[in-house]
Amino acid sequence: MAIKLVGAQIYDPMHQIDGKKMDIGIDQEQICNADALAPDCESIDVSDCIIMAGAIDLHTHIGGGKVNIARTMMIEDHQAHIHHGDHQCRAGSGHAVPSTFTAGYRYAEMGYTAGFEPAVLPVNARQAHMEMADTPMIDKGGYVLLGNDDFLLQMMRDGASQSAINDYVAWVLNASQCIGIKVVNAGGVHAFKFNQRRLDVDEVSTASGVTPRQIVNVLSRAVYELGVTHPLHVHASNLGVPGNFETTIATMGAAEGVPIHLTHIQFHSYGTEGDMKFSSAACEIAEAINKNKNVTADVGQIMFGQTVTTSGDTMMQYYGHEHGSPKKWTVMDIECEMGCGVVPFRYRDKSFVNALQWSIGLEIFLQVNDPWRVFLTTDHPNGAPFTSYPHLIKLLMNRSFRNDHLGNLHPEAQRMSNLASMDREYSLYEIAVMTRAAPAKILGLADQGHLAAGATANITVYRKQDDIEKMFAHPAYVFKNGTMIVKDGKIIETVKGVTHVVKPEYDKSIEKSLRTYFDKFQTISLDNFKISNDEMEECIGSQVVEHPCTKP
Amino acid sequence: MQFKHITCPQCGLLCDDLDVNVDDQDVTLNNNSHPVCQQFFVDAKLTDKSTLQPRIKGKPCTLEEAVAHAAKLHTAAKQSIISGLITDVQACRSAFALAEKTHSVIDHANGQSMRASTAIMQRYGEVRTTLAEARNRADCIVLFGAEILTKFPRLRERILQPAETLSGSTERKIIVIDVVENADLSADKEIEFFHLSLPNLEAAIQQLQYLASPRASVETAIEPAIRLIHQQISASNYAVLTWTASLFAKNTAEQTLQNLTFFIKESMKTQRCVGLPLGGSRGEITANQVSTWQTGFPLPVAFSSGAPEHNPVIYNAETMLANSEADLLTWISTYSPDDTPKQYAKANIVIGHPNMQCDQTADVFIPVGIPGIDQRGLACRTDAVATLPLHSIRKNDLPSADHVLNLIFQAL
Repeated sequence: MAIKLVGAQIYDPMHQIDGKKMDIGIDQEQICNADALAPDCESIDVSDCIIMAGAIDLHTHIGGGKVNIARTMMIEDHQAHIHHGDHQCRAGSGHAVPSTFTAGYRYAEMGYTAGFEPAVLPVNARQAHMEMADTPMIDKGGYVLLGNDDFLLQMMRDGASQSAINDYVAWVLNASQCIGIKVVNAGGVHAFKFNQRRLDVDEVSTASGVTPRQIVNVLSRAVYELGVTHPLHVHASNLGVPGNFETTIATMGAAEGVPIHLTHIQFHSYGTEGDMKFSSAACEIAEAINKNKNVTADVGQIMFGQTVTTSGDTMMQYYGHEHGSPKKWTVMDIECEMGCGVVPFRYRDKSFVNALQWSIGLEIFLQVNDPWRVFLTTDHPNGAPFTSYPHLIKLLMNRSFRNDHLGNLHPEAQRMSNLASMDREYSLYEIAVMTRAAPAKILGLADQGHLAAGATANITVYRKQDDIEKMFAHPAYVFKNGTMIVKDGKIIETVKGVTHVVKPEYDKSIEKSLRTYFDKFQTISLDNFKISNDEMEECIGSQVVEHPCTKP
Repeated sequence: MQFKHITCPQCGLLCDDLDVNVDDQDVTLNNNSHPVCQQFFVDAKLTDKSTLQPRIKGKPCTLEEAVAHAAKLHTAAKQSIISGLITDVQACRSAFALAEKTHSVIDHANGQSMRASTAIMQRYGEVRTTLAEARNRADCIVLFGAEILTKFPRLRERILQPAETLSGSTERKIIVIDVVENADLSADKEIEFFHLSLPNLEAAIQQLQYLASPRASVETAIEPAIRLIHQQISASNYAVLTWTASLFAKNTAEQTLQNLTFFIKESMKTQRCVGLPLGGSRGEITANQVSTWQTGFPLPVAFSSGAPEHNPVIYNAETMLANSEADLLTWISTYSPDDTPKQYAKANIVIGHPNMQCDQTADVFIPVGIPGIDQRGLACRTDAVATLPLHSIRKNDLPSADHVLNLIFQAL
């Protein structure tokens, strides 16, 4: 079907289009030159609107065992948020960590057309993909976890070559049907299984004999040398610990110049100044990002209210569990690969620490100069549910709104924050960069995140209004692969979305040592560990779209 | 034809190292494995193809007729229950879609025995491990009840006593405690068996929990074996506590699991100590996982209003059927011919194993393929982390449970 969207202001940073009035054509699943469409094709007057490509969330916990644990533990939240279905939509529940169908609908209603699960355990990949397959409306993808797995740590201890490590990394990406590699508290989750309670970036783990720096180094290099577009996605050591900004900057250095993505960096930007020995190090972190062009980061902004933290970082989840609310927590060691920890949190604006965390996140957004290298996330649901993005966008775009909020916070946190002095207000163009163009670019999704002819027709049309939060919360129209799925903020048609993956090449002989490892130590056979394309489609329920790897 | 790396869904361990021979409709397990896996393949043998036809009140019919009749029963039902769910992910997904459309209550055949574990996760959260972690890292494993070893027959070979571990050592203490004497285990040199002079396992767990609690005092009377076990756990580097909730009395299971959780969490303050609950032998982990991600709630779920509601007291399928609170039961059970409904409603639809016999009781019986033999599928293991593929190794015309449920859905 062909549709012409007529007269909107276009924000397409991939092509440096900043608010120009243009028509957008949709032909079947793709964007086309509007002038090439037949004159009698369906035409929608959107002259009171702005248009951006469909938004992409590059870090959102929407699938896998830890999310199900969180759903179970957040029983009160689910009972308080029941969602009825209709002839289009399935029913569901939950606000902080919603059921799968609900998550898909809420994303689409905000104009998002893709979301990426950042913590796929290799052994749990089938479940993560099944949950994502049951998350409709948006495209999905996953980053598979390495860096606490015994196989890699043993390779490193045995002095394996970088090329052998590259083969292993490529094998895991192929086997787990993922698009990137994530490392969480490199070596720390493994060390925690040996009762080590903290591991600093240059500390040799007594359990594995290697340092977090070494792990980040070999993995970031592997991802780079394999030609995987998305850089190593790093949840740094010492999450939540006052003074951890030094660890974070050291972790950036561990990549030795190859691309590295630091995730939910807000949680890793803490100093130790002041009477409370807790302060903002946003300035130091932003400066380090500005200086090191190989570094990108997503913020992991916190918002006030009830949520749940769900993470692979058992070591630091256990460390933080006493601050959780309500008082319940889960920690799990998993299959000589990883772990997970789930701790509900209620962030309070009258809490000094929480108020400063809120401020630190915004300070990072406002002090990183290049919007192509800082991404809008709340580390859903860890900092806040993804449904708070429109509010976050308003905080970034409206200084007086931001300062009004700042004025309500814990007074000591206000005193310790530089936020009030920051004049910067994000523009619509910059928002389009950080929520569309930049995520597509950093994930290697060449046909997404922009509005040129030939791009996948993932398009969000917002009706202009004074309240930017309302505008971003309820788009006038959302198109997914050319189908109008949302009208006036409501779902009008449901679609499935696909799974984006990379399949880097590798030397198949790595399977010989892997087979020995699986036969001796694992509880699943190597052949059943691997997920094929046809299993993805026939059983798991999602079509695979492979993106190329380009070796440097 | 020979197949390797086949998965057996007959217990929660989901062993996937099986070699199977398929000769037309005959499937044989080649490994010298345990009878539980053996039984799955013996049960799957199809000898009489005439029984593979759907039936309405015992009379053979076409699939279309059976589906139409099932849809008619759903339309007429005032309160429907969908249960059994002894099946794979695909069938569970379709069962939830049908439950939502028909405003049914949906629960697993073993729903009642899962309640305590769910409640503890909801109220406190847990500290857990998985099979490979226990296999490789444990230096002390405590099993609460000798029956665990018979319920999970390959546990010893695969987890408790592996030939090699990542640590390089296979030295570990394997402790089994029970209140019933067990001559085999008493004579077993590789296992320390403690026959306790306590009334039940729950009392043993209560005493153990007391020893770890800050209020513990030396004066309190504690079974000496429990003190010894506590010392051994305290002295270990990676202690694994293993139980299966079905061995605990139903009315106190929640308290017992709470005691285990409190003990493990208290121990975690200074050492690594983890739980390894075992279950899922009738696919309940699979059904519960699908329920949790699709509805946001663990089982049971009621769609009475159209939206999901979780209330394990009101919507317990077993009690509802016992009290005649439902007039239609849809039972889905694809792994064993013996897993027929144990209770019935006024009208009953059975979507079952091809060798199942329920002509006397089911208004509609639709024999379906077995996931792992006739159809590909997916199943979740006891630790709720590993998800295993079930393979299609035999060819026949049996529809999948998933397909049949979809047909009923579409006919409504």
